[in-house]
Amino acid sequence: MGPLFPNGVIAGGWDYVVAVLIGVAFGFILEASGFSSSRNIVGVFYGYNFVVLRVFFTAVIVAMVGLLYFNYFGILDLTKIFILPTYLGPMILGGVIMGVGFIMGGFCPGTSFTAIAIGKLDAVAYLAGLYLGMAGFTMAYPYIADFFNSGYLGHITLTQITGIPAHWFAFTFTVIALAVFWGVLGIEKRIRKNMTDYKF
Amino acid sequence: MKRIYIFLTAFMFLLAFGTLFFNETNKPEQIEPQKLLMEIVRPGRYVTTDHVAKMIIQNNPSLEIIDVRNENEFNNYSLPKAINIPLDSLLNKNNLLYFGIPDMKVVFISNDAIAADQAWVFIKRLGFKNTFVMKGGLNHWMETIIEPQAPEQTEPATALDTYAFRQGARMYFTGGKAEISEPSKINVQVRKRKKTNVVAGGC
Amino acid sequence: MAENRSNPWKVIIALSVVVIVVIIGAVILSKPSLTYNSSINKSLKDLDQKDVLFYPWQLADVINNGNKDVVLFDIRNDYDFGQGHIPGAENVPATDLTQKEFIKRMKKLREKNITVVLYGNDQLQANGPWMFLRQVGFNNVKVLPGGYDYYLQHRNDLAATKTDSALEKGVPRYDFAKMAASKKGASVNVQTETKPVSIKRRKKTTVVQGGC
Repeated sequence: MGPLFPNGVIAGGWDYVVAVLIGVAFGFILEASGFSSSRNIVGVFYGYNFVVLRVFFTAVIVAMVGLLYFNYFGILDLTKIFILPTYLGPMILGGVIMGVGFIMGGFCPGTSFTAIAIGKLDAVAYLAGLYLGMAGFTMAYPYIADFFNSGYLGHITLTQITGIPAHWFAFTFTVIALAVFWGVLGIEKRIRKNMTDYKF
Repeated sequence: MKRIYIFLTAFMFLLAFGTLFFNETNKPEQIEPQKLLMEIVRPGRYVTTDHVAKMIIQNNPSLEIIDVRNENEFNNYSLPKAINIPLDSLLNKNNLLYFGIPDMKVVFISNDAIAADQAWVFIKRLGFKNTFVMKGGLNHWMETIIEPQAPEQTEPATALDTYAFRQGARMYFTGGKAEISEPSKINVQVRKRKKTNVVAGGC
Repeated sequence: MAENRSNPWKVIIALSVVVIVVIIGAVILSKPSLTYNSSINKSLKDLDQKDVLFYPWQLADVINNGNKDVVLFDIRNDYDFGQGHIPGAENVPATDLTQKEFIKRMKKLREKNITVVLYGNDQLQANGPWMFLRQVGFNNVKVLPGGYDYYLQHRNDLAATKTDSALEKGVPRYDFAKMAASKKGASVNVQTETKPVSIKRRKKTTVVQGGC
């Protein structure tokens, strides 16, 4: 069956419908995990609330292991999955910028929309900043175009660079993630004893 | 609460551990049997010897000729720029890299077309596209390009064009002089109308 | 986290739903009706076996004596079949080879150990269907070399074809090198091109062009 759209299992016209449905589900889960509160989100940076860490790493390891199982059972064709092209320098810089905005604003772009959905005004301010940034990028594009397109390494995966098979990465990452989950549980418990004014 | 988390952690760990035992399924992807049959019955995989000759003469860069006979026969004679992949080593990993190159048309040749056709079926089973079989094989190549037969008088005019082309191809491939034979002149006998002064007919 | 203590069932329910979905998915994705019986490498070796051809001289036995252990299938379309076919043959156009009823019938024939012989106008036409049937597991299928055309030519004296070596696969009918050697002494093309083959082999990549 493979990836459904490249293999034509679902006709091409449905991709927007599926995208909307997946977006709705994603927003629901984000909100239900408590990500529309900026305190929860920046908690991982200040070290008192690690929900972000747990949710996202759970998603990553479930997806990794799940993909490997699906590939093994033939339901999915891993060679047909779209891999984002890697532009090394620009992506590192983009990550730094995004991290700074994350901490300062208290949202990441997706959670800001879930926060708007529940009516928070600071998310509106965040959104305004988002669009200002996008406009600024567009206007400055002629000057940064060269840097933006530099460092192209192709659609590579870690497996292709290091030659280590994918399931080793999955296993190691899962073990590390599970260990980190229990670790931060200990950290949180200790911090909560000290912080009395923040209700989790 | 604690118990659930412990259970979940253990479950996840087990799943991830299970992935370690996935052997590298590097076997090449194959198309479904039904699809294979559809491709088999679909016409269009045969190319004529004239077509192949034309592509060779024009130095068509997208042409890739694969000769599936054994090495001795290949060294004895083969088409220019042909690659020898004996049929029994067709599925070696290195040889498989000759297929699936974008925009290259692969043409299989053999003495008759049967071994080439068999190679075609296997390569098609592996899902490669743009593969063809030269109809009649090298036997037919001899009969049409190396020693073309002059068309009969009763054949359509296009046969004459084909024959002219084949003679040119023959010159190209063997370096021999073409024996250009004039199509034999048909003796047309014109019978002159007898002049008679008899007027037949009415007023 | 305090809420979880009062409702530990949430996680159990979620987990069981996931497990049920996986099981349903595995069951629904049932095996396709036709699968390859042997790996592609084995199928390739299979071609060299001794008993994959059914010779024209063996046809005499079938036609005249009505041998019940052999079934003839004509894989051409019904028009060609109507124009003329080997007596006793049945018309199964090549496109129908994956029909469920036909596969069921083939399975029964295989159980009874009946040999199935395919033929077309020549061996080439029946080659694809013959390979296909063998690869999906019917190892009782043979092909008739020479096909219907050869049969037509020799139908009055099939036994004599036993010695016809042209029926074997891949027999060169000419001495290629001699024929292709130039008449005027110019060197043959083959020798001059010592092949640094200019075809670059495909790099192994798994790039898929997708969109964001």
